[in-house]
Amino acid sequence: MGRRRRPAELAGAAGALPEAIAALSRALPAGPSPETFRRAKFDRPEAAPALWRLLFRVLSPPRADGASASRALEAQARWVKAALLTQGYPRLRLARLPDDGSQGSRELLLALSWLLARKPLLEPLLARTRVRLGDELPAFECGALASPSLPAPRLEADGPVDACHLQWLMGKLRFRWRNLMASQQEQCALLGKIHMYTRGCHSDCRLGHLSVAETELLRDPEGGRQLLRRLESENARLGAALEWWRRELVFWQWMDTVLGACPPEAPQPACPPGLGGRGRTAGAWDPAVWELQALQEELQAAVGARRAAWAARVRGQGPEWSAARQAAQEATREAVGRELAALRQAWERGGGPQPHGPLRLVRTEAGAPGGPGLRAVEAIGALKSREACLEAALHQLQAQCRQQLARLAGALPGLLWIPPPGR
Amino acid sequence: MLPLGCSRRLVAELRDALDTCAERQRQLEQSLRVSRRLLRTWEPAETPTPTPEPTPGPETNEEAPSSAGTPSPQDLKELELLTQALEKAVRVRKGISKAGERDKASSQKSGSIATSATTAAAPHRASQTKLPRGTRQATRPAKGLPKPKLLSAGDQTCIGRGPLAAKPGPGLRDQQIAPSAAPQAPEAFTLKEKGLWAQLSSTQTSDSMDATTSSKTQFLQKMQVTSGWPSSGLSAAEVEAEVGRLQKACLLLRLRMEEELARDPTDWMQEYRSLLTLEGLQAIVGQCLHRLRELQPEESDKEVPGCHPTRPRSPVLTEVVEQQLGPWPEERLPMASLPCGGGAEPTWSPQLLLYSSTRELQTLAALRLRVDMLDQQIHLEKVLMAELLPLVSMQEPLGPPQLALCRAVHSLLCEGGQHFLTILRDEPAD
Repeated sequence: MGRRRRPAELAGAAGALPEAIAALSRALPAGPSPETFRRAKFDRPEAAPALWRLLFRVLSPPRADGASASRALEAQARWVKAALLTQGYPRLRLARLPDDGSQGSRELLLALSWLLARKPLLEPLLARTRVRLGDELPAFECGALASPSLPAPRLEADGPVDACHLQWLMGKLRFRWRNLMASQQEQCALLGKIHMYTRGCHSDCRLGHLSVAETELLRDPEGGRQLLRRLESENARLGAALEWWRRELVFWQWMDTVLGACPPEAPQPACPPGLGGRGRTAGAWDPAVWELQALQEELQAAVGARRAAWAARVRGQGPEWSAARQAAQEATREAVGRELAALRQAWERGGGPQPHGPLRLVRTEAGAPGGPGLRAVEAIGALKSREACLEAALHQLQAQCRQQLARLAGALPGLLWIPPPGR
Repeated sequence: MLPLGCSRRLVAELRDALDTCAERQRQLEQSLRVSRRLLRTWEPAETPTPTPEPTPGPETNEEAPSSAGTPSPQDLKELELLTQALEKAVRVRKGISKAGERDKASSQKSGSIATSATTAAAPHRASQTKLPRGTRQATRPAKGLPKPKLLSAGDQTCIGRGPLAAKPGPGLRDQQIAPSAAPQAPEAFTLKEKGLWAQLSSTQTSDSMDATTSSKTQFLQKMQVTSGWPSSGLSAAEVEAEVGRLQKACLLLRLRMEEELARDPTDWMQEYRSLLTLEGLQAIVGQCLHRLRELQPEESDKEVPGCHPTRPRSPVLTEVVEQQLGPWPEERLPMASLPCGGGAEPTWSPQLLLYSSTRELQTLAALRLRVDMLDQQIHLEKVLMAELLPLVSMQEPLGPPQLALCRAVHSLLCEGGQHFLTILRDEPAD
């Protein structure tokens, strides 16, 4: 094990590594035993399945259910490979590993370390499985409707369908949404009542009332014990994570040696141009480019008109007028610059000032000053603007389609296209 | 009939959307069952008329909750049992949690009970007048004002009183047993939560992270160097994320432009400002287009598999995948990691969302659902556009099946499958 001289905190590096690995394996969900890590360094095949499963668990999107976790090792291995490559995993050797999940433990160990090194991996995992005691509403979470990670195995015998079938499916979807809305309203009414009834019962005065989970806890001792157990296991994982963060330096040094133990990769030849067969149809790029180009054209026209009008006005006024207004113009320019910079933030930073993640619902008296926390009124305002944005986007897409179809219709003479009523 | 590949993909997308919806419905229904069960004990009567009050004692207090300090002997006994159970729980828990935290938190808790008891008094009075039903059932549960001195006995008292008044005899015994085991849990979680999650967020910002961070970066660089691939710049996931951001940018810019064009400037200052804004928007759009075109050529000279929006894009990736994995897996892959929710915020206790009436909560939840639904609809619209528009534009013959397809596609894409247009043959009158 290559040992680099470091300050005193690493005295005893010989013992620190096993503990670091042990902490990591306790902190990870479905963490393999420390022995697996050691075996993986030497690329032992018996360590591979556990690592495939771990990577699958770690990479699946948050809402993956139990069904996908119990898929065959082969399916999981294939999925993990594709997922890692999508994320930009640099090593080619991963793609060459056999699908049956029987080999490649060292490569998988490297992949896991790569994921750990790039961006925080443990924190989101811990937050995901956190025991939640409050009634929560994911007010600003994106992707709350992310589709399941592995779709249920489809019958391969699906034949071609008619457009009517698609329309039927869309109608079914609309119906399900209506049901969902109705159920949600009912749930909110019930939550409101429970919060109101349990007012004054919570020891934390910021909250003031119990949530459903807490009320259930007090009603049902068995449930309370179960909750306690879950909390204890969560605490164990948190403790392990803290220990991992204290000790992880020695792990990275060890990983350097693991990487060194790999045989070097032959440099790849330049990729042969194209593999033939699959040509590009309308790429998903094109809508984005269309939209921006269309917008650019519109803006050009608008700017041109306004510029001309402005120039005419300035000409009509005379030079002393312009000189007098210089300062005001400067101020306006700055103000507009700031406004546009703020606008840019809206998509660049991807969030804005809204808190992310689920928020705990707390019922308060209207008009009471209340403590820290987001007011529902503000959240409603933010959501309304987001809704308006999305509606505009949808209408724009539909308008694009209409334009395209109208163009096609124009090319077919001898037919009248009557749009549906109400348009 | 639509072509096979197209059909399969579209049906798969729609079925995914349906499944997601169904999953959410299932979760909601589970929560509903739990909530209904909890409320049943507070509102056992099916009819809106209030049940006859069995014990007149507690009821007289309700008009003047400030004089609620006259509990019946039954209640006193119950409270005593609860206190004993709680003291036992505290003794038991001494062995589990850290001593320091407990001392700190228990004094915190008794302090907060006192304050919550006094603050609870005011809202109760207000809530009595607010309730639409005006029955006494609703205020009964809130009436059990905790005695300030009892350590979190208030929790139990409230719940105990509710069903107590509704079903006097058997209810009492059940409720007595229930809280005795429960007190351990709320105390345990409140304390431990504050301890460990706080430590977690503080560890993240400590100084010893620097050595670790540098060793991590070194490792990553080594990985890249030994990979044998030419560095391909952004990963597929990142490219997809960037494209998504640029699309969002386009939308926001367009909204702003429309806002600006709708304004009618009344004086020269506004006119100037409007002009500057539009020019600024134009510049930004130019930059976005440039960025998009920068990202694009990474792939335009290589073959990319179809136009499925969820498939990754890197050309080297495509080749490797096609060599090693066979045809591209139809399954959805985790594309860009979500920019939100992965940061430091989730490590601390969740932030609070304060609402003041059920109507507000319902509006909020409905809006949230609507936003999700619109997200889904936009995604579906894009998928449908990508698959169906090429179909319609490619085929020349004017036969009825082709027209039927056009009509169906128009309905799906432009009306969400809800309305249809009519196509008439324009026969010249003879």
